[in-house]
Amino acid sequence: MKSSEKIIDYDLTSARSKRKLVNLWYCMSGYRVRYLFAILSQGLSTVCKTSVYLLLSWFIDNWLILKIRTFPIAVIAAGLLLLAVLEGMFSYFANSTANYTAERIALRIRNNLFNHIQRLSFAYHAKVDTGDLIQRSTSDVDAIRRFFSEEAIGIGRILFLFIINFTAIYRIHPTLAFSTLIIVPLVFLVAVGFFRNISKKYDAYQNQDAVISSLLQENLTGVRVVKAFARQEFEIRKYEQENWKKYQLGKRLLRMEAFFWPSTDLLCGAQMAISFIIGAFFAIDGKISVGNFVAFLSLIIWIIWPIRNMGRIIVHMSRALISFQRVMDIFKEDQEPLDKGSYLPQKDPKGYITLDHVCFAYQNEEEILKDISFSVMPGQVVAIIGSTGSGKSTLMNLLPRFYEYTSGSIKLDEIELNELPRSYLRKHIGIVEQEPFLFSRTIGENIAYGVSEKKSQSEIEEAAKAASIHENILSFKKGYNTMVGERGVTLSGGQKQRIAIARTLLKNPRILIMDDATSSVDADTESDIQSALKNLMRNRTTFIIAHRIQTIQEADLILVMDKGRIIQSGTHQDLINQEGLYQKIFKIQTRIEEELEKEMCCD
Amino acid sequence: MTEDFFDEEDFQGKIDRNIIKRIFQFAIPYRNWFFAFICFTLLTTLMDSIQVILNKFLIDQAILTGSKSEAVRIVRYYGLTILVQAVSVFGFVYIAGMIGERIWYDLRQKMFTHLQKLSLSYFSVTPVGWIMSRVNSDSYRISDLVTWGLVDSSFAIVNILVSLGFMLAINWQMALIVLAITPIMIVTAWQFRLRILKEYRNVRRLNSKVTGSYNENISGIRVIKGLLREQENLREFNELTSPMFQSAYRAARLNALFLPCIQILSAVALASIILLSQKKIDSGMITIGGIQAFINYVTSMLWPVQDLARVYGEMQQSIASGERIFTLLDTEPVIRDSADAYEPESIAGDIEFDHVSFYYDDGDGTPVLEDFSLKVRQGEVIALVGSTGGGKSTIVNLLCRFYEPKKGVIRINGNDYKTYKMESIQSRIGMVLQVPHLFSGTIRENLQYGNLNASDDQLHEAAKAAGADEFIQRLPNGYDEQVGENGNLLSVGQKQLISLARAILANPELFIMDEATSSVDTITENLIQKGMEQLMKGRTSFIIAHRLSTIKRADRIIVIEDGRIIEEGTHNGLLKQKGKYYHLYTQQFRQEKEKDYALQL
Repeated sequence: MKSSEKIIDYDLTSARSKRKLVNLWYCMSGYRVRYLFAILSQGLSTVCKTSVYLLLSWFIDNWLILKIRTFPIAVIAAGLLLLAVLEGMFSYFANSTANYTAERIALRIRNNLFNHIQRLSFAYHAKVDTGDLIQRSTSDVDAIRRFFSEEAIGIGRILFLFIINFTAIYRIHPTLAFSTLIIVPLVFLVAVGFFRNISKKYDAYQNQDAVISSLLQENLTGVRVVKAFARQEFEIRKYEQENWKKYQLGKRLLRMEAFFWPSTDLLCGAQMAISFIIGAFFAIDGKISVGNFVAFLSLIIWIIWPIRNMGRIIVHMSRALISFQRVMDIFKEDQEPLDKGSYLPQKDPKGYITLDHVCFAYQNEEEILKDISFSVMPGQVVAIIGSTGSGKSTLMNLLPRFYEYTSGSIKLDEIELNELPRSYLRKHIGIVEQEPFLFSRTIGENIAYGVSEKKSQSEIEEAAKAASIHENILSFKKGYNTMVGERGVTLSGGQKQRIAIARTLLKNPRILIMDDATSSVDADTESDIQSALKNLMRNRTTFIIAHRIQTIQEADLILVMDKGRIIQSGTHQDLINQEGLYQKIFKIQTRIEEELEKEMCCD
Repeated sequence: MTEDFFDEEDFQGKIDRNIIKRIFQFAIPYRNWFFAFICFTLLTTLMDSIQVILNKFLIDQAILTGSKSEAVRIVRYYGLTILVQAVSVFGFVYIAGMIGERIWYDLRQKMFTHLQKLSLSYFSVTPVGWIMSRVNSDSYRISDLVTWGLVDSSFAIVNILVSLGFMLAINWQMALIVLAITPIMIVTAWQFRLRILKEYRNVRRLNSKVTGSYNENISGIRVIKGLLREQENLREFNELTSPMFQSAYRAARLNALFLPCIQILSAVALASIILLSQKKIDSGMITIGGIQAFINYVTSMLWPVQDLARVYGEMQQSIASGERIFTLLDTEPVIRDSADAYEPESIAGDIEFDHVSFYYDDGDGTPVLEDFSLKVRQGEVIALVGSTGGGKSTIVNLLCRFYEPKKGVIRINGNDYKTYKMESIQSRIGMVLQVPHLFSGTIRENLQYGNLNASDDQLHEAAKAAGADEFIQRLPNGYDEQVGENGNLLSVGQKQLISLARAILANPELFIMDEATSSVDTITENLIQKGMEQLMKGRTSFIIAHRLSTIKRADRIIVIEDGRIIEEGTHNGLLKQKGKYYHLYTQQFRQEKEKDYALQL
């Protein structure tokens, strides 16, 4: 728990205000003062910059024109240098601190999101789209990062530039200061309008980019089809059409840009010209000094041109806020508490399980499980048989509390399941999936994936041997260090299955759930897997979901399920003597064997 | 090609003249436009410098002499420079941008076209992601370098040179100080850039790992929850995000330090000028306006220096991009038609594998097929059976000439198939893959892939023959229904029916099918069987078979194990042998029957 507190330095699930800006404020927790200092420091840096020009103005007036020289000129040169160094220091402090905050917040959001997502309930994961979730976790988080590292601090910089330089000019002459404002609002409006407009066009351009990108991707993944139908020419034409469309959209975007920059250049230039002439007249009339005029020429630049950028920053900021909202929406969902439980057993479970009138339904939907009752002694094997949709898998999802039963009672060693922490249950329940999921790491790491404590190589190999996959692994060039997935070997269904079995063996759970573990496997490797499974089931309370009678004949209890109910239960011997579904299945299966025999001799 | 070759952030760091030359060759078709935008760029920067000089005149000739008419005259000139500048800014933004888009377009088209010519072996060793980023992003870096890179660097160089020129004209001693400091500024800026880029590369590399991590954590959520990995996963994730933070922060700090450093250097120049100015003014060597112009030139020197450093830093990356693009474009297709290859009337006829051996180049050289011989008569249906990895797919790949035999000959109609044009073989083959691949678009478009000129009637007929018509009609938009990316809006069974119809429409002379192992429902299964029958009728067919009904219907069954034929014959004959086939058959029989009964349940 301790390490998690360090990794998650601030729990974002608690930031649940309805107001975006309030949540943003929560997000900044721990860095607020720092960020404030960054913005303040930006202001100080601007003050230094403006002071340079004022110092130069004073120097020209007193030193060069009036020739009042009371101290060596080196002092002024040193002063200039000092101001430049100060400006640099403040600017460095401002930017590095703002970026520190931005990167810290991004790190915080990333870790929080990652952790939050993996702790959301299955109900959430079932309804959510993976691509969308990843998009929010990556590009939306990046937009938030830029908000802090560029946009917020950028707006601060422009405002400081404006206020400080305006004040400086105002001190020189108020009328002069106001003369600089003639065109500024216009530039501002044009810029905001332009950036809002172009961001729409930019979206169209980006979409077209996605179009040609997926066209290429389909062409590459379907390369066999393209070649088999000799459709290369056709593909080239198809690509060219979309590619050309992108070029046209790009040109349209450019036309806008090419109009915007020079037209705002003209506006800003006109502003400069007006200010110049007013300033020059003032200087000639002696209302301002020559030095002041020289300073004015530089200061005005820092008022006018940054305004043009403000449009872009404002548009980006509004987008960042949308991204922020999209990320915070994920945090609104409730996590499923792993360690919460009113009863924490000190010992490993024995594996005595009873179900009593258990019902289950997804939120506000029809009941999927109805009135399920049975009990299992420790070490027994329970087989569940039934058609797809009969509720077998759903029933098994209740044991590790992937879903919560809606009524009735499930007890493990006489303790109600929902009083036990989920982590306790999942620690002691092993699941072998129908289609096992392996992670893109080495085979050895995949086997050790389910255990928190470090396992020695020999323990891993022991598990692999019991799962009859050891020899296969050794046949790979890198053995246990072979990567699984895109950058490594492609494993067959049977190999994956046995690695998953080894993983479960190493975990060594008291209770085992096997979901149709042999159905997706080549007939060839089935016998290998059977022996691996036998090893796995030894001394554990085991649930087998199956559709083949051979595999379950020896089960201590067989449950036949249909439409969410248990319609028959008993041992193989009981059930074949009972009229019902199981007997029917058994008869069919016997018939198959007879048919097969007939095929062999008479065909 | 080693594994590292496909590393996205692979970076040599040295500049190869040849590659630069080749990169700029992409610009040759547009050389007139290049001339135009460089002229506009020069005009823009010239106006910049003139504006500074006009300020000097404004001080010296209007303010210090007290002439208002002179002031108006000078500001009028100033207005003129702004007008000229606006026009030239429009010119270079538009032209450079347009050429950039155009070269990007050209590059993408060129690579795409080239990719269509490459052999299948290239695609089996080259990750899709690698190719995609060549076509999408490396091409962008190149087009960016030859346009905006050129604009920025020519702008910067000319700006610095013209400014220095004006400064020399005003006062050569002061100008020398600036001249001495400028190279230091440029080198400093460039060094910063290189270091910042290095950190950014690291951030990008980690970022793609972070994305992968999210992806796996979401798609593997069931296993993660079941194995209680949350704590450990978060710790591992933090081991990615923490260094990412470190790298990003280091880059940001360098970035924050970068500008102040350059600024302080320019302040040094400024301070030196101030030190000199007293004597110069007193001796009348420079005017107040002249001093102002110097201050202005020196303080605005920052921007071109920064641009220059940026372009130079990015140039190294662009060259690495160029290198990668050229390796793609320089790859020759392994399988090519010989000069005298011809187009046969038809490829219907007997097919013979004559002592064929084959191994994949990317493997460890162990043969996949060894001394494989097989004669197939025109119209015969061949079922290939055997366990995965035995060499069944390789036989089909060789037959389609996606690969060619390393030893031995494949003959069609008695001639080595290499004497035919590749396209003439492939366009006459109808192929249905195990995992059917559809292209995004409508069902109609996907069917037409088999025959671009097919009429609507032919289309419907083919769909009917394949048994696809019925489900297509039931879709809300019928034949105009969108199938989604890679056809993912349809079920596997439906995709297979469409790919059968597509093959029927192509009216092939040779039919090849890799049967799907994944389960589809019985009704679809039956439809697929009927579609196959349609296709096999009268055509030489090779089926990698999994279903008993298909196997039994074949004229001849070939059992392949470790690249060799171990059993061969008809169904009944093989059963009697009680060998590998017998074993495979009984297992398959049970599985299929059990599936049948499970559906009855």
